[in-house]
Amino acid sequence: MTANTALLLTLVVPLLGAVLIALAGRWPNLRETVTMVTALTLFGLVIRVLMGLNAGEEIGVELVTLFSGVPIAFNTEPLSILFAMIASGLWIVTSIYAIGYMRGTNEKQQTRFYVCFAIALFGAMGVAFSANLLTLFIFYEVLTISTYPLVTHKGDDKAKAGGRTYLGILMTTSIVFLLPAIIWTYAAAGTLDFVPGGILEGHLAAGSATLLLMLFLFGVAKAAVMPVHRWLPAAMVAPTPVSALLHAVAVVKAGVFTLIKVVIYIFGTDYLAEVPYEQFAVYIAGFTVVAASCIALRQTNIKRLLAYSTIGQLSYIIMATMALAPFSEIGAAIHIAAHAFGKITLFFTAGAIYVASKKTEITQLNGIGWRMPYTMTAFAIGALSMIGVPPTAGFVSKWFIIAGAFQLDNYFVLVVLILSTALNAAYFLPIIFNAFFKPEDVTPVKDHAEAPTNMVIALSVTATLTLLFFFFNGPVLDLETQIVGGMP
Amino acid sequence: MLAHLPVLVILAPLLGAPVASLLRGPNWPWLLATLLSWFALLCSVLLLIQVNAQGTFIYTMGGWEAPWGIEYRIDFANALLLVLITGLASVVLPYARLSVEHEIGADRCPLFYTALLLLILGLCGITVTGDAFNVFVFLEVSSLATYTLIAMGKDRRALTASFSYLIMGTIGATFYLIGVGFLYVMTGTLNMADLAERLPAISDSSTVRTAFAFIVTGICLKLALFPLHLWLPNAYTYSPSAVTAFLGATATKVAVYVLIRFVFTIFGVEFSFGAEPLAEVLVPLAIIGLLSASTVSIMQPNIKRMLAYSSVAQIGYIVLGLAMGTAMGLTASLLHVFNHGLMKGALFMVMGAVAYRMGGTSIDDMRGLAKTMPLTFWAFVLGGLSLIGVPLTVGFVSKWHLILAALELGWWPVVVAILAGSMLAVVYVGRVVEAGFFGEPKDATKREAPWGLLVPLWVLVIANIWFGIDTRLTVDIAEAAAAQLMAGGVVR
Amino acid sequence: MSDHLILRIVGKFLIPYILLFGLYVQFHGDFGPGGGFQAGVIFASAFVIHTLLFGLESAERIAPQWVLKIVAASGVLIYALVGVAAMLMGGNYLDYDFLAADPIAGQHIGIILVEFGVGLTVASVMMLLFFTFAGRGEAS
Repeated sequence: MTANTALLLTLVVPLLGAVLIALAGRWPNLRETVTMVTALTLFGLVIRVLMGLNAGEEIGVELVTLFSGVPIAFNTEPLSILFAMIASGLWIVTSIYAIGYMRGTNEKQQTRFYVCFAIALFGAMGVAFSANLLTLFIFYEVLTISTYPLVTHKGDDKAKAGGRTYLGILMTTSIVFLLPAIIWTYAAAGTLDFVPGGILEGHLAAGSATLLLMLFLFGVAKAAVMPVHRWLPAAMVAPTPVSALLHAVAVVKAGVFTLIKVVIYIFGTDYLAEVPYEQFAVYIAGFTVVAASCIALRQTNIKRLLAYSTIGQLSYIIMATMALAPFSEIGAAIHIAAHAFGKITLFFTAGAIYVASKKTEITQLNGIGWRMPYTMTAFAIGALSMIGVPPTAGFVSKWFIIAGAFQLDNYFVLVVLILSTALNAAYFLPIIFNAFFKPEDVTPVKDHAEAPTNMVIALSVTATLTLLFFFFNGPVLDLETQIVGGMP
Repeated sequence: MLAHLPVLVILAPLLGAPVASLLRGPNWPWLLATLLSWFALLCSVLLLIQVNAQGTFIYTMGGWEAPWGIEYRIDFANALLLVLITGLASVVLPYARLSVEHEIGADRCPLFYTALLLLILGLCGITVTGDAFNVFVFLEVSSLATYTLIAMGKDRRALTASFSYLIMGTIGATFYLIGVGFLYVMTGTLNMADLAERLPAISDSSTVRTAFAFIVTGICLKLALFPLHLWLPNAYTYSPSAVTAFLGATATKVAVYVLIRFVFTIFGVEFSFGAEPLAEVLVPLAIIGLLSASTVSIMQPNIKRMLAYSSVAQIGYIVLGLAMGTAMGLTASLLHVFNHGLMKGALFMVMGAVAYRMGGTSIDDMRGLAKTMPLTFWAFVLGGLSLIGVPLTVGFVSKWHLILAALELGWWPVVVAILAGSMLAVVYVGRVVEAGFFGEPKDATKREAPWGLLVPLWVLVIANIWFGIDTRLTVDIAEAAAAQLMAGGVVR
Repeated sequence: MSDHLILRIVGKFLIPYILLFGLYVQFHGDFGPGGGFQAGVIFASAFVIHTLLFGLESAERIAPQWVLKIVAASGVLIYALVGVAAMLMGGNYLDYDFLAADPIAGQHIGIILVEFGVGLTVASVMMLLFFTFAGRGEAS
């Protein structure tokens, strides 16, 4: 099949899958099989598109024209194919994990869960492959709406409150900041297409461009820049597979992906460099990195700690993107992948610990490393990736971001990176240490060993990927250097 | 037959109303009304196609040439409105069969459908006519029919609501009449096209300016612009559900059309926005209306009332668009006229279905609806998303054009106000959605609404999404209409 | 009003003349002042007097409400159908020229029929209104 067909199918397949999952609701095994088949098919389709991209095929599909000059259109380029691959690939792993988790905790409303998951992936694919800002915005909102039932899955008052914060912040920022930013872009440039080098050159007054940039920065709340970050910790009321989806597979990645697309393909790095006070975006992101790490230091709930860790890591990406150095752009792109592998591992382990022992606080983890060796080893790998220690994925992206900082003598970025690395170590390393080197001080409620097999398989896979990425990142690197037009 | 299309649209309800009054039982009048509305819709669509192909359609009543006779003039603007009115009638009438019988009782149904047909007659008549006094005649026909329909509501407060609407509506119509009277004194004609030709020469006179003020004020009362909206919440809340669904989607929109016709075609853009401070008066009122009404609707325990206040806010958007005085603003305004009709029609029909099963429309009745009446509830969710302006719905299309129009003029505070309105919509829609998903059902034994209610309802909901994706029809016509209206004067 | 013998006898005498006058006004509308609206009201006033003199029951025996409703509806229908007839004969709606071979005769026919319809409706509606209000008074 042609790459174009594959591209369209990447949108159709998850949607079709959602319908089939809903129909198969009454037979859990059949339903789970449908999820797995859909996820595998999706990944295969994305690979086909990747092959098409590498072979230089013409890839672009236009559907309806919504407004004059702005169709709902899709195409692909290195950044979007990276995001699509991570999303679809990790969906497979998350599904395996989710099956174990949902059955292990005997969660209710499982059909709704899997259906919404599939629709969320549909949204993610749409965001990834969108050819213009409007299409991206449409699928961005689809993502928000389809993840709301997932976040409020438990249905109790805490879930409701968390869902309110989640939806409230995401919808408000997208309507109040992002939408006017998009319409303003359209009014100024006459188009919304993603074009290498940007479309805004010469269309805006200098001060307006700064304002527009800020509107985008705070409008894309999925990238969790402070102060629009509060939805992330609030969303931790969700079951862990949802957190994995949110943090690694789809939602936050869609956020930073959007910002990188805006920087490279709407503004253009050359134009953005001339926009006054553009550095403020770097400062805001840098502040978020440090502040989030400090707050993480004080968290005892595992998932909240990981939430703030994510906020910090996302701002790495934003900071690197806004630094406008070719190396840092590449680093930002790669960090999407690296962080995804590392964070999903961490969330998987958090969920595994919960299912096996009902524990949720880091203070309860003394000595658990010997009861759950696979789980805690994976945790260690994920944590090291967050800190940025070789041989993990996190090291590769950090290397490029630092290189980018040196390229433009951006000392602020350097200082932030060093400071945050130290802070990350400060809150992750003690957990690993306590897990393996402290004896159990409280006998657990039930005598438990490892988590259910499904979950262990999933987290082992992602931990391995984290390691493998360190060694085999060549193809990804080659792909992503294309977004800056070759190795600088 | 094609030559008589404008009259056929009027003829259907005109012949139908007396016949309906003679029929017995709940079903025959309903059947008659439904078939006639479908016929009228067919004629409207054909008319639209004709106007698109051949330009403004002119029909002289009784063979008397204008300006002595009454002529019907159909251009893009009223063709679009006509399709909206007859389309909504065609969808609400099948819905009305169950809802009306349940709320009003089988023996009063003939009267109900007679009044409804007269309402459709009045609204269509206002839309097609090209004579200023004829507008008044049809306005009174539709208003009287409306008062009757509202008074038929189950709740006793429907009577007082109808009465207060009667008083206010009559005042509004009287203001309009006074204004037209002044115009007649100054120009000697009542024909819209003729007025448009003669007014520029005498536009300095204080009589003409007074006429303008009276006409605009009278119409703004009918279209429920803040602060002349006081009749609307009670009227919408207490009337029968089918009436609210139809009324909420059409009555105020027709008044908007009349305003547009007078401001742009008869008085002309230079006079209305240049000599008269129309924008300076309408824009602040529209903004205050949309913000205050959205805020008030957040606090309403009765959802029908909440949607009524929401309608006042949406009318603020529409007036905002036309008050900009630009082609883009007018396009946005006309778009939202059509789109809001689709949205509110669907939402009020949902509330009617809820009332049918649950006996009431308060937020307590909506609790847990996602479990007991999922199809009904999801229709509300989709309609609500359209109200907020989520992409892929008609609400997004309107908002996009409105914001673009405001940006074109550099009116940043207006953009902020529009977005604030959307945010408030998130809150008041979110309230109901939350209650539906998370609340405990008031009565868990209640089943889903009957198919007779669900099918028409979902037709409108799907239309919301359809026209949100395939925008060619609505946007092209709105743009063409706006271009014609901005050119002002009349195409002969 | 059974005590007021004088009123009743005079009223009985006058009512036919009122009705006759109403018919005169109706049909001379295209030559002099008159027409359907005025004639209808005059016609109805005769019934009002009858009701005042002889009571609602007597009036309703002569003109029952269901008959009045049919007449009201028919009046509107006559008006509308005249217009349709004009259309079917080739003209625009309500173009009386086409109702007969000679346009002037057509106009005459058209106006008379239309005004007749109006007269019917106005008279019956006025009577219905009066009967409704009068009936409420008696019921309470």
